[in-house]
Amino acid sequence: MTAASPPQADRSPTALTVRGLRKAFGPKVAVAGIDLDIPHGCFFGLVGPNGAGKTTTLGMVTGLLRPDAGQVLVDGIEVWRDPAAAKRRIGVLPEDLRLFERLTGAELLTYNGLLRGMPPPTVEERAHELLDVLGLADAAGTLVVDYSHGMRKKIALGAALLHAPRVLFLDEPFEAIDPVSARTIRGLLERYTEGGATVVFSSHVMELVERLCDRVGIMRLGRLIAEGPTERVRAGRSLEDAFVELVGAGGTAREELGWLGTSSA
Amino acid sequence: MAGHLVRLKLALLRNGLRRSQWQQQLGLVLGALGGLPLAAGGFLLLALLPRAEPRFGPLLVQVVFVALFLGWLLFPLLSFGGDTSLDPARLVLLPLRPGELMSGLFLAGCVGIAPLCTLAALAGGVVGFAPVGPGLALAVAAVLVQFALCVVGSRALLTVLSRQLRSRRARDLGILLVSLAGLTVSLAVQVGARMAERFERQDVEALRAIGRVAGWLPPGLAARALVDAGRGRLLAATGELLLAALVVLLLGWWWWRSLDRVLTTAEPPAMARSRQAAGLVRRLVRPFLPADQRGAVAAKELRYLARHPRLRVSWLTSGLLSLALVVLVALNDWNHPALVLSALVMVFLVGQNSLNQFGWDGPAYWANAAAGADPRGDLVGRNLAAMLAGLGGTAVLAVALAAVTGGWRYVPVALFVAVGVLAVVLGVCDVVSVRFPYPVPEVTSNLWAVEGTGQGCLVGLMQMVAFAVQGALLLPVFTLVGVGVFVWRPLLAITCPVAVLYGLVLWRVGLGMGARWLRDHQPELLTALTPRRAA
Repeated sequence: MTAASPPQADRSPTALTVRGLRKAFGPKVAVAGIDLDIPHGCFFGLVGPNGAGKTTTLGMVTGLLRPDAGQVLVDGIEVWRDPAAAKRRIGVLPEDLRLFERLTGAELLTYNGLLRGMPPPTVEERAHELLDVLGLADAAGTLVVDYSHGMRKKIALGAALLHAPRVLFLDEPFEAIDPVSARTIRGLLERYTEGGATVVFSSHVMELVERLCDRVGIMRLGRLIAEGPTERVRAGRSLEDAFVELVGAGGTAREELGWLGTSSA
Repeated sequence: MAGHLVRLKLALLRNGLRRSQWQQQLGLVLGALGGLPLAAGGFLLLALLPRAEPRFGPLLVQVVFVALFLGWLLFPLLSFGGDTSLDPARLVLLPLRPGELMSGLFLAGCVGIAPLCTLAALAGGVVGFAPVGPGLALAVAAVLVQFALCVVGSRALLTVLSRQLRSRRARDLGILLVSLAGLTVSLAVQVGARMAERFERQDVEALRAIGRVAGWLPPGLAARALVDAGRGRLLAATGELLLAALVVLLLGWWWWRSLDRVLTTAEPPAMARSRQAAGLVRRLVRPFLPADQRGAVAAKELRYLARHPRLRVSWLTSGLLSLALVVLVALNDWNHPALVLSALVMVFLVGQNSLNQFGWDGPAYWANAAAGADPRGDLVGRNLAAMLAGLGGTAVLAVALAAVTGGWRYVPVALFVAVGVLAVVLGVCDVVSVRFPYPVPEVTSNLWAVEGTGQGCLVGLMQMVAFAVQGALLLPVFTLVGVGVFVWRPLLAITCPVAVLYGLVLWRVGLGMGARWLRDHQPELLTALTPRRAA
């Protein structure tokens, strides 16, 4: 499998270093100062309720959203000082799957490869393999606009993996993916981290994060309220229990919706 | 239930005005204002025709009724994506029987600007034809049956085709047809006016044959019922009316059957409906493009030109506009060989499509930003695609004009100068498109929608300034061409290399300025191209 071949030996001590990262949109503070170190070869899960600032954080560490303050180093390279060099080392799967809708799946992969300066034969070969592995070979000539949500997610993942990045940032990679594809993707990512690459992903599926990740970070209201090895963060409980306890769950609304289940129709 | 659906339609109309941006509100008001003259015109035509033209009036009433019916069948098909109350699949989850749904949808279909205008126009028929007495009731009934034919026929056809209409291809085609409809109508009016000048009595006799056929179509029957009621032939009018009413019932039955099927049959997945994309760019153009970032961007741009409905409309519109301008110039003298040079209008106008060259990517520009590739290569790729498409169109036009005028010697001049003109235009576009970008939505019911950057006015202003700057920068080139054509012909030979060189120098300046800015502001460009979501 050439497409997901493990990267070269590491030079920097961490795959990702974040210091004092901040971002506000008008009066709303989305990320309120984050410090984070993720070692090489780590499978890192970033979890948090909706609006916690996960997507904003991922946007800033991947060089797509300018932070108000703070420093981000990917593989030892400062993202906001030398964005081009940093971006060569990272692959991104964005949450809202903003893709070139009017390209076919195969054209989208080729476009991404050539954009990154890869030689055309390599792009062709890897695109072919990725389409096969992701189960998209039959839809290679179909426009992305006609893809289902799951297929869009897979083709976007293919585009993120194509240049074999050292650090992969995935925003909700398993959302709307069928169990068989999810298993394929999981296998692909596990093999990838075994070779020394790093995967940082955000998710709402706690069981998956618990099963896959060596380390987790829990975000709430723009702050990282817990971070470390998964075992330590969950401290004997399930990760979901730990998450609910740390984030603080609301009431179950038993009294308010008492009419549910009485079916008046 | 019917009341609920009518209220839903009224709420959709009201909310369409309240929620949309001012451009859309303006569109709705213009639509209403446009409907008013049509309604008034139809009313006057039907009211005055019988007295002004007693011989041919009935024939024309039939034509008007048939045209109205066809309009009702066709226009909702084109605006399917825009009117949410037209799509039966949206109501599929409600616990309704087709009968209940039908009466509700029928009444909702009678509410709106178009039904109101139709009724107003048809009322003219009652005024024009109906005598006092029992004929009046028949005339009113004929008009109501025609109205019911329009509403039920249009709803039935929409329901039958709703699945196909929801497909991406149908929506793309709809966007293209709606955009070009205005142009087609204006052309049809001009052709019609020319033909009317040559209209003679014997032509009307020939039209009678068409009239006889139209008279047996359902709307033609309603028209004949109206005419016969007006002339006191009450029995004939009643028979025709009954036949037309029977057709309404048949259409209603067809509607009911299709509604039942749409509500209870599973929809095939989108993939099964889509076809594989054609590989024209790959086969024809790709081998000639560089195998790097510039080539990839250029190939993507050319594919978008062929596949993005709104980009296609934009290029087609500028192409057709240039054709119209060339025809205007040609009206003075068809045989002047230098007419070939008017093809330069096309290269100038199609070049304007690059003023917002990142806008067509929209939020997908993210892929370019994430790749960390050189913004200069990105701009060069876009310019390369615009150059290929623009020069291709201009070459075809220049050759066609040369074939008509015999001015073949002007073809190379037109092509060389076109390179210079387009280079200057693209140089300016490279600066404007990175500084004042706005996202263009992929598919929308409103063709002129700009997604909420809140700077629509500023963007429009900047584009006008850009247009003026391009004009000023191109003045020396056009002056040289003018002097070459009208004063000293050898100057044209010098103009060719000078125009190319001048264009390339200015293009490099614009490209450098655009690329430099983009290198430091890629995240800001991406933010500008990403529509803001509600917090």
